[in-house]
Amino acid sequence: MGRKVAVVAGGHSKFGKRYDATMRELCAEAYKPIYDEGLTQDKIDASVLSYAASQFSGQGAGSALIADYIGLQDKPHMRVESACTTGTASLRAAWGLVSAGLYDVMLVLGVEQMNRVSSATATEYMSQAGDMRWEYPFGISFPAFYALMASRYMSDYNMDHEVLAKIAVKSHHYGAQNPKAHLPKEVSLEEANNAVPICRPLNLYDCSLITDGAAGVVIAAEERVKEFTDRPMWIRGIGAGASEMMIQDRPSLTSIPGAKRAGKAAFEMAGLGPEDINMAQVHDCFTIAELVAYEDLGFAEPGKGPELVENKEIYHDGRIPVNCDGGLKSKGHPLGATGVSMTYEILKQMRGEAENSSRQIKDVQYGLAHNVGQSGQFVNVFIFERGF
Amino acid sequence: MAEKKEVYLGYTTDKALTPWYVEWLAALEQERIMKSVCTSCKAEYLPPRQHCQKCLSVTEFADFTETEAKLVSYVIVDFAPESLSSKAPYVVAIGEFPSGLRLTAHITNLMSLPEVGMALKLGFDRVDDKKVTYRWLV
Repeated sequence: MGRKVAVVAGGHSKFGKRYDATMRELCAEAYKPIYDEGLTQDKIDASVLSYAASQFSGQGAGSALIADYIGLQDKPHMRVESACTTGTASLRAAWGLVSAGLYDVMLVLGVEQMNRVSSATATEYMSQAGDMRWEYPFGISFPAFYALMASRYMSDYNMDHEVLAKIAVKSHHYGAQNPKAHLPKEVSLEEANNAVPICRPLNLYDCSLITDGAAGVVIAAEERVKEFTDRPMWIRGIGAGASEMMIQDRPSLTSIPGAKRAGKAAFEMAGLGPEDINMAQVHDCFTIAELVAYEDLGFAEPGKGPELVENKEIYHDGRIPVNCDGGLKSKGHPLGATGVSMTYEILKQMRGEAENSSRQIKDVQYGLAHNVGQSGQFVNVFIFERGF
Repeated sequence: MAEKKEVYLGYTTDKALTPWYVEWLAALEQERIMKSVCTSCKAEYLPPRQHCQKCLSVTEFADFTETEAKLVSYVIVDFAPESLSSKAPYVVAIGEFPSGLRLTAHITNLMSLPEVGMALKLGFDRVDDKKVTYRWLV
């Protein structure tokens, strides 16, 4: 293994329907707090500036545009793309370059601008990430893939939709306390359980948001970390996994095999287990995705995820706090930014910088980010360790 | 490249027509489903693949004759992608045949909510009177 690498700073734009900004301004908004912490352009050796889908913005070669806009036009940069895991794939790529010694300090920025098109068009674009020959012609949208998982899970484990609604209630509870969130409002169990159907059994409150936003972090090699912060967050474990392209080919629809593999690899690299994790940011593009993540990551046995929900063990003062920033569900899901936003949130929680005590998790030593692309074709799991 | 013509699989189709895919669609127009069989290791695929996933050898088409299946999972799409918004709501189901091969298609004759494990029968449908597709019947 190469050099140790730490996250030394982070920044985050407001998530939402950002008709006031394009990708470039969103990235500037995410980089500015990092700049203000002293990570000015001259300190950055190179960057990974990524977004998942150029159809949304219509911008080609976007990393060049972003680099130029934020003053990194003379530094090496690139874009990494892997659907909704674009953010953590970018972090993984940067980690590799720093760990190997090619660069000492790198900026990772993830961004997406999705609201320049209608919801129906956005749904169309995302459905094209299914198999264009055998799935897309039948109108299987992004929520439809996860609804297929939900139908099967509810049947296999005799689970009522209300469990999923309780996950949405929790996400909105925390999103309401996050000033960066796209939809910062509480929802009642009744609202979440009886909302307008999107892809049954999933309804409106089971689905994440179509969001504009950006998030960024800077990572540094161990010998340089002290130049930038006395509160680093070490990258302790990284795991990546993949699953079959067509969802019909999966051996199980109640689990994402690539997520299990990614989690196992990350825990092995970190020398830790699920019981060591103090908080998790999981990829709740849909409520069923969060439930399945509990089990894929080992926080619950197969079929036992609902017990974590019923016992509120996923709240900020529970056994394994999950998505206490509102998650993709309430904070929002700008595809390319999501994985970086998860990393930013864990850094913030470790530093005790949540906006108020009602969402601050106590004494976070180890945090986990679980980032899934499409319906599980890409998965990255990161385990971070507090370094102070 | 293949001749340019309008060929539909479901309600829309992959526009990347190749001779291999056109041959498969031609069989579909005759209400025949073709699986593919690896010429080397004999692995079978449905939907078909031109190359074997295991050994990358080319495959050849063979008639797929199973028609009875069980429902693996389903979704009722209320909010559809833009290209299919006029068709919503519609039901998409994954069915598994006794051989273990699976197919994803619409269920078009439901009178009540679908259930995991229910019996499905493979059938065909003409969309807009001219486009053939396969579908599940209950």
